[in-house]
Amino acid sequence: MTAPAIVLFTVMMLVPLVLSGYLSLTDWDGYTAQPAVIGLHNYRVLLDDPEVRDAAVTTAVIAVAGTVAINLAGLGTALAISTPGRLNTLLRTVFFYPYVISALIIGFLWSALLSTNGAVNTVLEAVGHAGLPFLSMPGWALVSLITVIVWSGFGFTLVLYIAGLQTVPASLIEAARIDGAGRWRTLRSVTLPMIAPIVTVNLVLTLVSLLRTYDLVLSLTGGGPAGTTQTAAYLILSESFQNNMLGYGSAQSVVLTVVTGIAALAVTLLRRRADTGVSA
Amino acid sequence: MTHQSPPALTGSSGTATMTAAAGPPPAPAPGTGPGGQAAGRPDRPRGPGRGVRVARAAVLGVGALVMLVPLWVLVVNAFKSEQDIRTSPFGLPLSRLSLSHLADALHNPDFNVVKAYGITALFVVLVNVLSLLVAAPVSYVIARGTSRWHTGLLLLFVAGTFVPSQVLLIPVVYVLKYLGLMGTVPGFVLFETTLTLPVSVFLYSAYIRTVPRELDQAAAVDGAGRLRTFWLIVFPLMRPIVATAVILHTLGVWNDFANPQIILGPGSGLYTVTTGVYAAVGKYSTHYAVVFPNLLLAIAPALAFFVIMQRHIISGLTAGATKG
Repeated sequence: MTAPAIVLFTVMMLVPLVLSGYLSLTDWDGYTAQPAVIGLHNYRVLLDDPEVRDAAVTTAVIAVAGTVAINLAGLGTALAISTPGRLNTLLRTVFFYPYVISALIIGFLWSALLSTNGAVNTVLEAVGHAGLPFLSMPGWALVSLITVIVWSGFGFTLVLYIAGLQTVPASLIEAARIDGAGRWRTLRSVTLPMIAPIVTVNLVLTLVSLLRTYDLVLSLTGGGPAGTTQTAAYLILSESFQNNMLGYGSAQSVVLTVVTGIAALAVTLLRRRADTGVSA
Repeated sequence: MTHQSPPALTGSSGTATMTAAAGPPPAPAPGTGPGGQAAGRPDRPRGPGRGVRVARAAVLGVGALVMLVPLWVLVVNAFKSEQDIRTSPFGLPLSRLSLSHLADALHNPDFNVVKAYGITALFVVLVNVLSLLVAAPVSYVIARGTSRWHTGLLLLFVAGTFVPSQVLLIPVVYVLKYLGLMGTVPGFVLFETTLTLPVSVFLYSAYIRTVPRELDQAAAVDGAGRLRTFWLIVFPLMRPIVATAVILHTLGVWNDFANPQIILGPGSGLYTVTTGVYAAVGKYSTHYAVVFPNLLLAIAPALAFFVIMQRHIISGLTAGATKG
């Protein structure tokens, strides 16, 4: 009964993972059946590649800023609308819906809104303001990208935070308030410790998914202007498949996998005390 | 008052139980009497003050607008001429709305939307069926097993969640070429199914643990083998969790872009909604009267699915994320 799953998982997940390590040591171009092994050459090139360095920085900025912003927005909104009620259910839907739309299409939609002669600039110009270079200037484009990421992604954390907040007994909050704790103190000392596991799940899920940002970059900025919004995943896929440098791409993806694993583990470990040491 | 077992949803450490709350702690005595600490502000109603409420309503209102305006722009502009979109992107010129742009998009020679719906729906069905056939039995064995091997197997599958699928893509191309499945439907479906296994196995095995073993034993006494016991006795009880998994995988496959783009490739003539839109819209990204209708057609099924299944999608994702 276990055989089909194990075979499929091995052939399509485990073997590729190991192969990734092997291919990263070769000059595979995507066609040859027996690529030549070139040792650690790809990794040495990678360390000196300015494009890789820039993509790493961009990915790190997106992952860190996006994770913080998405979770602050998600938790803040959840605190405001966690009580049951028709209006709050409606708001939850409104904040959540982009999650069911493909990231590729969200990118196209926002590029139509934010491009030089897009909808937002049309309005700005109509009210007498000069258009803004949302997607056409390096710093602006990265901020726009992160903003769209937060717009489309915080609804998911919102739903998880609401689920978490609903497990916090109202009596506990009430007790804290009666003991003289203010709203802020109640949040910090009662609510947040109670939902600590949800916070960890949200942080890890957001971080891991942002380290893979690809579709949105492709359709929103195309990696531009001047490559300033190229993420690691974008570089790996678009460069290695377009330039037939799959060996080199493999080396980049090995590094990305390792970094993702370390990042997820680090957040989990850092959050461990908050997860377990709960006392109200 | 301290309590040792907070009603926590299962965290990333993943204790595999389906119970969300470990029982509420004993309720504290409400109030401490007239002479207690609560006496400092006896008349103040619980809940936020008026100022906080107004500010909160304002922020939520603006937030809701920011969420909905892009959707509004997408929907109304799908019915407007290029001229109207350019001059007034947010406007709704009722007298000049037209279905012709949507009709053009439906007959786009670069991207047959209806065909893309069909192909993508076929992939969704194939992946869901295959995923269920493969993941459910292994989850049963894991859930009923007691040895380290079973725990190890569970961890192995769940660890797959953290592997970025784009990172797998390069070596998977190598594997598929070796198997002669590159650019084919079976190759794509097999890979896409594998990507569903971590979440499926985790959800299923956690759920099966809540199904009493006595049921299996009764079936065994009646002479049913393990396979029959599972499919005839346990599997029919798994409906809620199967629904959750199907929702998660349906959204995943429908919205996937990188995998079909690379594995099916432009040469195969097989395009999904996302890869088709990429080909069609990428070319005309500044022709808004082409872009908006195509985007609307692309998201319409997902939005309809969301509106109908809203509650289930949200609870499904919640279950998937907090237990996965």
